[in-house]
Amino acid sequence: MNLICLVKFVPDVEDFKYDVTRNVLIRENVKMILNPDDACALAFCLKVKEKDPETFVEIVSMAPTSVVGHLEDLLRRNFDQATLISDRMYVGSDTYVTSRILARYLEGKTFDCILTGTHSLDGDTSHVPSQVGEALRLHQISNIVKIEETQFKTGWPVVDVDSERFISSYRVGLPAILSVSKDSKYKLPFVKFKNLDLDVSAKIKIITNRELGFRADEVGLEGSLTQVAHTFTRNLQKEDRVFVKTDEEGIDTVYDFLHAKGFI
Amino acid sequence: MKKSLIYLDAENIRNSIDLLEVAELVHGKGEVETYALCIHQCPKEAYGKFDVIINVQDDSIQTYDVLNITNCLEEMHRNYTFDSILIPATHIGRMLAPRLSMRLHVGLVADVTAIDHHDGELEMIRPAYSGKIMAGIVNRGRVPIMMSVRQNIFSYTSHQVKNTLSINVYPTSIQASNISLLEMKVKEKTKDIRESTVLISGGGGVMDQFHRLDELALELNAQVSASRRIVDSGIATRKIQVGQSGHTVSPKLYIALGIYGSLQHIEGLKNVENIISVNIDKDAPICSLSDIVVEGDAVEFIEKLVEKIRREKV
Repeated sequence: MNLICLVKFVPDVEDFKYDVTRNVLIRENVKMILNPDDACALAFCLKVKEKDPETFVEIVSMAPTSVVGHLEDLLRRNFDQATLISDRMYVGSDTYVTSRILARYLEGKTFDCILTGTHSLDGDTSHVPSQVGEALRLHQISNIVKIEETQFKTGWPVVDVDSERFISSYRVGLPAILSVSKDSKYKLPFVKFKNLDLDVSAKIKIITNRELGFRADEVGLEGSLTQVAHTFTRNLQKEDRVFVKTDEEGIDTVYDFLHAKGFI
Repeated sequence: MKKSLIYLDAENIRNSIDLLEVAELVHGKGEVETYALCIHQCPKEAYGKFDVIINVQDDSIQTYDVLNITNCLEEMHRNYTFDSILIPATHIGRMLAPRLSMRLHVGLVADVTAIDHHDGELEMIRPAYSGKIMAGIVNRGRVPIMMSVRQNIFSYTSHQVKNTLSINVYPTSIQASNISLLEMKVKEKTKDIRESTVLISGGGGVMDQFHRLDELALELNAQVSASRRIVDSGIATRKIQVGQSGHTVSPKLYIALGIYGSLQHIEGLKNVENIISVNIDKDAPICSLSDIVVEGDAVEFIEKLVEKIRREKV
């Protein structure tokens, strides 16, 4: 089988520090990590490949070239190829433009299935998998927690989807875009010790706008249909706060408050 | 008069109808004609609230078949030329909205939580970076304006009863589908934290002793909820997570034990009347939202407050 896995590297949002005095979020010098949902999608691809070594898995990511090291780290875990779509023209693209760029690359490929994550930690719009699905006119399913492996090979996989109140099982014909959730049990293995310094540079392919051929006004900030006008953190401070400690006086204050409000 | 289309998702009908408030905020009250689109049968509650209800009559469309629902919505847009299309950010809605926006070649804002206007320009507000910051997003000129709207944020309270026009449509754009639903299992029921009046919530500060929260919950007839740190560590399930990546809750009383209060957590607190926070750091962000800030160890607080409540009962 030919599998393509779309992944994204995101800033580790847990690393963000909050400058309380200025009421701003400090986003500088935050390390980049593989988006957790995408890691599960990759892990599923490796499972398929483990059972069926003929499987070819290509990782596709749109990012600045600074993520090459991250891609090499992934390739050392037995993936076959990594394609980095990277061009200065693409900086600032919104989800609509990003999806068009990815779709243009994918249009020229033959594949049995595209795997992606569902949510990303940074934007968390979940737009790209669905929009790429639309551009390629394929079914796309989000929040997948399990993909039945045996049927996967037949081209009619059964997938379990977590839609908050239900777990629903769907059968879907391939090719399709299957978007995995981090609530799935798929875990990306570590790099084997002997492969830590493996030279994988030959497996990385960089695609630029020279290959994809967009006009400058179709991509980047200019081509985007939405734009961030401004960002802000909210000031939610309550006035008249009472400060106490966990001593008797403090506990009495809390008790009286709960009593007065009818909670006790 | 502007025209706004709202997709009614069977998964959350009440909240789909609540998007009428968003339509009014976007276009102005009394300046918008509201359309609902529903697949198969339209729920009774929608009658009298919308100006027009479009009932899609085609038994071959399944409510999970996003491709065909997109076909229907596109067809309706070609007929009516809507100025805005609003979709609830349900499981299906979050797949439907991006697909439709791509089909119509218009911008889309996801998970909108507020509507604002700046110098006459519409700004759609949404959380970003797991809710750590808010972003005001503008649409660059193309219509319809499209957004998916976070569930249970807006509520439509108007008592006006409209003379709803109901239309049956028979779409011509439906295609054969290769997706089918085999089985639907209700997830094992834990009580829903969104329906709770009192929540005892734990964060990183009670990581090792999260189970102790039950003692206080029992005394206050409350439910236990958790921050993302607790859930990510595998101590509690996502079902009881409060915050941007968990649930939005509106209890009357929220007791935050050892919770730092990142914006992604605070994003999950909506119209909470009273907050008590217990934290060794009285400057933790959650404390700035609290009515009472207790500086100290959360487990010690649980022990002492439980003891006090029991003593007073006798």
